[in-house]
Amino acid sequence: MTSAADPKPREAERFRRETPLALLATRGGLILAILCVVIVGALSSPMFLTSGNFLNVLTNMSIIGIIVVGMTFVLVVGGLADLSVPATIACGAILSLALQPMLGTVPAFVLAITLAGLCGLVSGILVGYVGINPIIATLGVGTIVLGIVQSVVGGVIVYGTNPATADFVKGRIFGIPVLVVIFAVVAIAGHLVLSRSYWGRWTMATGGNPVAAEASAVPVRAVRAGAFVLTGLCGGLSGALLGLTLQSARPLVGVGYEFSAITAVVVGGISISGGAGSVPRAIIGLLFVQLLTNVMVLNGVRTPDQGFVLGLLIAVAVALDMALRRRGIA
Amino acid sequence: MSTPIIALRMRGITKTFPGVTALSDVNLTVEFGRIHAIVGENGAGKSTLMKVLSGVYQPTSGTTEIAGTEVRMTRPADAMRLGIRMVHQELNLAPDLTVAENVFLGRMPKRWGIVDRARMVADTTGLLAELGASIDANARLGDLPISQQQLVEITKAYAAGPRIIVLDEPTSSLSEGETTALFAILRRMKARGVAILYISHRLKEVLDIADDVTVLRDGAMVDSRPVAGITAAAMIRHMVGREVMNVFPKTPATLGAPILRVEGLGDGRHFRNISLEARHGEILGLTGLVGAGRTELARVLFGLERPVAGRILINGTPVTIGSPAEAVRAGIAYVPEDRKAMGIVPAMNIRENISLPILRRISQAGRIRSTEDVALAASYVRDLGISPPDPERRISLLSGGNQQKAVIAKWLSTKPSVLILDEPTRGVDVGAKAEIHRIIGELVAKGMAVIMISSELLEVIGVCDRVLVMRDGEGVALLDRTELTEERIMALATGEEAA
Repeated sequence: MTSAADPKPREAERFRRETPLALLATRGGLILAILCVVIVGALSSPMFLTSGNFLNVLTNMSIIGIIVVGMTFVLVVGGLADLSVPATIACGAILSLALQPMLGTVPAFVLAITLAGLCGLVSGILVGYVGINPIIATLGVGTIVLGIVQSVVGGVIVYGTNPATADFVKGRIFGIPVLVVIFAVVAIAGHLVLSRSYWGRWTMATGGNPVAAEASAVPVRAVRAGAFVLTGLCGGLSGALLGLTLQSARPLVGVGYEFSAITAVVVGGISISGGAGSVPRAIIGLLFVQLLTNVMVLNGVRTPDQGFVLGLLIAVAVALDMALRRRGIA
Repeated sequence: MSTPIIALRMRGITKTFPGVTALSDVNLTVEFGRIHAIVGENGAGKSTLMKVLSGVYQPTSGTTEIAGTEVRMTRPADAMRLGIRMVHQELNLAPDLTVAENVFLGRMPKRWGIVDRARMVADTTGLLAELGASIDANARLGDLPISQQQLVEITKAYAAGPRIIVLDEPTSSLSEGETTALFAILRRMKARGVAILYISHRLKEVLDIADDVTVLRDGAMVDSRPVAGITAAAMIRHMVGREVMNVFPKTPATLGAPILRVEGLGDGRHFRNISLEARHGEILGLTGLVGAGRTELARVLFGLERPVAGRILINGTPVTIGSPAEAVRAGIAYVPEDRKAMGIVPAMNIRENISLPILRRISQAGRIRSTEDVALAASYVRDLGISPPDPERRISLLSGGNQQKAVIAKWLSTKPSVLILDEPTRGVDVGAKAEIHRIIGELVAKGMAVIMISSELLEVIGVCDRVLVMRDGEGVALLDRTELTEERIMALATGEEAA
């Protein structure tokens, strides 16, 4: 409705020429950064370039990676972040182990993930339909669910009863760790949904301009809620796999994963303002963060210093996003 | 020393961005105590020129003189210090503060370091009275209608004692009555010696209010002269560089059976007891002052709000429309008034915007059939003449008129039988406006029923087959094409004539 806000054709030309460059800087920049980390890692530690270390990084990445897929949807839909991840992870880990003796491995596994998805549904309804700020809603739901889980298991550690399941989860298919395979399946499915399906397009539209999306017959409430259901399911799956791998689960097993996932997505260049982003970009962000952490660990960097580096990374990534946004959309 | 007459003289202003020239050799002279209109199509360089004047952009070459002194402005604060004030289309006000607080925002009068509220309110009341605006200085800004908020914005600019005020499309959200009130204020400001730059698409207003007019086309100044003696047709010719024969091409319509019937509809707040009928092949106009309830009626018809009374019938069958999705299923489409906020998803491209409401229809097992998506967008881009003809172009990079065409394309993709257009040509340039009218004409020729909400009386008279005039939430008269005159509609809309 304004000539100032509708860029004139010639200004549009200008932006069009700048945008690919800006994109290259962000996308290419991250790949470049990954290469730098690999080179530094290779030079500083003989351990770094071994296949053992590589598989280790990939396996570690897989557990968080599954959550990153869900978290990508949350950020893209404009839902800021899902802070109930520690609760859904605990839900998945504890229930899949605790219910194993009663239900058998597979039903326990499925039920644990379903309940985690239900937690996500509650967050989703609060965010999408009631309209509560996502940070507050997921913080609240997460705290309640974690409390329930803790009181149900009495605050103790739950142990696995069927070591064979651990062997399977820790095993390999064609030399690739099972965890990595599961992560790859989730990531590819998430990517296809976000980029090719109508649900994915709705997610982008809702994040980009919820008012216009609603006026375009997009069920924005359901789409918003859906992102949180997905993250709940991802958290549950991740937690269940973690529980089976460790064969033990504490209520606080998932604490910290929410921030790792958010860091990866944000470093991957997905805007916290919503409306744009892809699963591969988030995973590239995750890869960078994981490799960086790995190199720091191999070089004996103390944990507090690692935290400092990761915190700085988030701030830089968000600042860069804001700066590009200002230039790109203005 | 005598008082200078020339408020602003820009000489040879050229502004190039890498690879393109946005302004070339523009000369502009504005005198104190005169209203100088700047007209031109979107992209003609009006906004760029104003950004140069307000210190946002630095010209590549050329000089600017304010009151006879050459100045260099490197940031907006420089322009403000020199007494240049901009009033943007989008209001820059704090809705939770009072009128007085807004007027004096950033420079409130203080006594011993504490805001002197009494003086601030008194000064604001004085300013409002001076400009002839009847607004309570203590009212919370957010409680005022948009038109009055705009007057507050103008008062705020005036309160700073400016030498030059720039108004960017100030009437775009005003009805004709409110526009008259605004013009009275502008004339008072002019009488106090302020130089006013007035940017508008509405040529009739320019003829009404301006003393001088400068026409820009493709970044160059094509004409600059006193308004006296110039006609709208001449201005249009200069703006587009060609003769636009008929601003409102009329398509003969053969009216069919009613598709949409509304009986005694009310939302309990903005409108009540509205009955209307939209027939095949008909353009039904919905006009009235801003606040008459037209947009609210459209929102109910499209399922964005719920009615509390009355019923809606499609082809004689009563329907409940609880959401836009249900409206789409019922064959109703709505092109909203506020394109930027409600019409487009700016980060998406043209194709993605067009197929948004019908994604499920072109999907199989959840997956969007890409070929169909691409073909659909390509055909609409071609049929509606969207420029540039690239469906993969981000929609936010299009001009207002082309964005509007893309939004219309989006709704045509749902194959509606009733298309509601809310101020479809607001803020689009003359050429695009004619094209949008042509598109509407073609749609009704194919049997669609169009309901067009418009505040622009010439447009209503030129395009519509029948017009429902609304006042204060009620339908006051249904006029046939033959009964349409500007005076008649205004009289009904303002309540001077009882129906």
